[in-house]
Amino acid sequence: MSGLKSRQRFDRRVLVFHLGSLLILLLLTARLIDLQWIRHEDLALQADQNRIDVVPILPTRGEVVDDDGRGMAINRVLFQVQMIPERVDDPNKVIDALAIMLHWDPDTIKRLRRRVARSRADRPVLLDDKLPWSTVAPLAARLHHFPGVNVLAGTERLYPYGPITSHLMGYLSLAQPDDVEHGAMPNELVGRSGVERSFDTMLRGSLGFQQEEVDAHGRRVAVLDRSEPHMGKVLKLSIDMDVQKAAWKALGKRTGAVVVMNVHTGGLLALLSKPGFDTNHFITGLEEREWGAWLHDPHKPLLNRAIQGAYPPASTFKLITALAGLRYHVPLATGTTVCKGVLKLADRNLRCWKHEGHGRIDLHRAIVESCDIFFYEMGDQLGMERLTDEARLWGLGKRTGIDLAGEASGNLAGARPEAKRQQWYRGETMITAIGQGATDATPLQMARFAAALANGGLLLKPQLRADVPPDVQARVDVDPQNLAIVRQAMRDVVANPHGTAHAELYNLPWHVAGKTGTAQVISMSQDNQGHEEPVYDRHRDHAWFIGFAPYENPQIAIAVFIEHGGHGGSAAAPVAAAVIRTLAAEEKEKQQEPAPLQAAATPEPHA
Amino acid sequence: MNVRWRALDLPLLICLLCLAVLGSATLYAAVHQGGISLWQRQNLHWLFGIGVFALMCVIPLRVSALAAWPMYAIALIFLALVPMVGEVQLGARRWLNLGLFHLQPSEMMKWALMLLMAHWFASREANRLKPLAIALAFAVVPAALIFLQPDLGTTLVLLFATTAMLIASGLPWRWFAFAVIAALLSAPLLWHNMHEYQRMRILSFLNPQSDPLGAGYHVIQSTIAIGSGGIFGKGYLQGTQARLHFLPEQHTDFIFGVLAEEGGLVVALLLLVLYGILISRILAIAARAHTRFGSLVCLGIASIFIIYIGVNIGMVSGLLPVVGVPLPFISYGGSALVTMMAALGVVMRVAIESENKVPWQRPGSPLL
Repeated sequence: MSGLKSRQRFDRRVLVFHLGSLLILLLLTARLIDLQWIRHEDLALQADQNRIDVVPILPTRGEVVDDDGRGMAINRVLFQVQMIPERVDDPNKVIDALAIMLHWDPDTIKRLRRRVARSRADRPVLLDDKLPWSTVAPLAARLHHFPGVNVLAGTERLYPYGPITSHLMGYLSLAQPDDVEHGAMPNELVGRSGVERSFDTMLRGSLGFQQEEVDAHGRRVAVLDRSEPHMGKVLKLSIDMDVQKAAWKALGKRTGAVVVMNVHTGGLLALLSKPGFDTNHFITGLEEREWGAWLHDPHKPLLNRAIQGAYPPASTFKLITALAGLRYHVPLATGTTVCKGVLKLADRNLRCWKHEGHGRIDLHRAIVESCDIFFYEMGDQLGMERLTDEARLWGLGKRTGIDLAGEASGNLAGARPEAKRQQWYRGETMITAIGQGATDATPLQMARFAAALANGGLLLKPQLRADVPPDVQARVDVDPQNLAIVRQAMRDVVANPHGTAHAELYNLPWHVAGKTGTAQVISMSQDNQGHEEPVYDRHRDHAWFIGFAPYENPQIAIAVFIEHGGHGGSAAAPVAAAVIRTLAAEEKEKQQEPAPLQAAATPEPHA
Repeated sequence: MNVRWRALDLPLLICLLCLAVLGSATLYAAVHQGGISLWQRQNLHWLFGIGVFALMCVIPLRVSALAAWPMYAIALIFLALVPMVGEVQLGARRWLNLGLFHLQPSEMMKWALMLLMAHWFASREANRLKPLAIALAFAVVPAALIFLQPDLGTTLVLLFATTAMLIASGLPWRWFAFAVIAALLSAPLLWHNMHEYQRMRILSFLNPQSDPLGAGYHVIQSTIAIGSGGIFGKGYLQGTQARLHFLPEQHTDFIFGVLAEEGGLVVALLLLVLYGILISRILAIAARAHTRFGSLVCLGIASIFIIYIGVNIGMVSGLLPVVGVPLPFISYGGSALVTMMAALGVVMRVAIESENKVPWQRPGSPLL
């Protein structure tokens, strides 16, 4: 047969094999050029994304301390025990060994064995959490016997004073999607209320990052780069925990609020609202039931009464009426009237709290003994607009600007929109003059008012931070003589045996000046239907006391408010007494210490 | 001994030496983190392979030709046994684990079939229907068994190798074209009979991103490994995809990823050049073989090599679906290496026997 033809065909086929092989190799070459040259940058980036993990390092949240450095919000170091199952020969044996050191009961051991069995072998499994050092110390000392077992430190936010500072400190919770958009990490704690919220940025610090090289199983192989987090700063408050605690204790089981303010700086020495709640529960994960209980509690523990609650200021408002009367020289500023216990106005009776009446009475005695009839008449002489103007001057009806969220602005009866449109009923003006009716104010506003009376008319921003310069928001244009008249009367509220707070505040190391208030909860006449007799339901009255001390050289102003507390004198003034006693004792202690600078700055004690 | 040393093809030997060095170094890079015992074992495989290579150099081709039928028969029996007893021994075999098994009937069958075809067509032409039909039967029976294992990749490799042998043996191009068209038309039928995982694998090849953590993961990671290597590579033992185990199966089927990542385009092309030289030397020996059997054996061996190279690198670089095929002389695996060394030994034997002889059916050849 055609052997030669066959051979020629074979030679051609060998050429085909050559060409075919070359074609395959060229195709592969083209692919390699495509991947390694043309698409190199993109794929190199993908390789880096594979291996480089950017892990945020959370800064430690700054602690909050009072003016004496006592921790109000602190970080407790707690420990976690983890195990990486694949690095342990027999996880169950290790769990048994750890159980002895960490005091696990048989149920826990069973649960942990199940957890380890279910978990990925190459990832750490959490065995125990929130352990104090005393518990983990024996394990930590023997950790080299337990390869694959780790002890990690973490922190927990703790509020040592619990409910006493709950409204002030606020609470934290895990960042929500909204916070994450604003730069928080998903596992970071963010302040939700109180100081934790107001100073959140400062307390939180800023994140650090660690660039880690990880393998395909997500295990860290090396640390490539690290930028340290900036730890949160320590926040020092002007709060004096001794004062805060004294006020808390003095309130007892009653509902109310206390504000104590430095009259020169506006620094708050105490700010509390009762009942409180335990903010520590918020961190550890609040039971929904507990939250619901607080939410529906008739005593509203979540309400910060000191700044969010606005109440009729009652007789403490008479100081405003008196200041207005003196400012506008109304007849009663220098004259007298007769209190018979009741005042007829058209078809309704306005009563004095003292049913038998005060007899002939002037401004000084009217403040000291808190005569209602006198101030009804003075209010009548002033009119609603002047009363409202005076109240505004002293900062009522407007937020104080304290660095806490949710502050109420309070309300002025004469500032209602209809004031512009219609005449005031005389009766409404008159009850406004004694602090009833539509006017209400927060304890913080009243404390600031008292501070302004003490410091000569400076309206200060209430400050929570220590060591910040005073922020004078306004200087009240008041005749010093008028101020002196009011202050003298306030002193006699305490010093005069007939004064409404004499019994409770007279016998104190510091001379106190102040004014009591007893607010009716049922308003007498907010509109035209209020023709009925005023109702005196003793159990429903709110008790107020505002004042300052020492009288001769004022240092602090105070506002005490007790919801349904009864009479201002008997209910609220003792709380103020407890605060003043604490402050006076502190000052005495300071003077005994060899601290000349401090001693020079503080005034002479008044026995 | 009748070995004529001058007859040894020196370029082929140098090329093989280079591949051995490159392969050993690459394997070291792939396994050194988990301990070098695998690398040491592969070096032993090399020594053993060299021994087998030398042995094949001295075994006369007549004897090898005689082994064609028995070898094919044994491979076929083994293949038939796989579904029965292989369930226990080989049943867990997945494309991931390919190469871990020392005896693979399908692997053996590729070589046995190639040898039988060379033997069959040594005295026949593939342009007659009857011998062609019988030769096709040689191929279809094992191909069906392997397909049912199921191992689609090896089936295709076997069919490619068969096609190459038929072309080498003089299959008319018209018939070849006809077969290709028929195969394309029957593709839907094949798809219908495929296992779900085989379809998944083909689909994941067509769109690897559709299942980045499943079947597509290997290809995505090996493509990243190759591409991130760039032109000059990340440096020896510096490949992050390899070192951090993002690259799967990096000492067996995906070892090219290690080489290309750490050595870059330069070393990858060097490997292709070495392969090119190797293939062209084998083809050159085929062309000057003094028997038709010797020529066909060399062409068969060259085709198996080029198929392995193309399929493996094509797969690792994302051009082809994932098929369990080793990269010749680089991938870890004793049986594959020893088999390939034996094949090269046979090629060398062809060269030795053809020394100073006229190729078959050339003018001047005694057979003409």
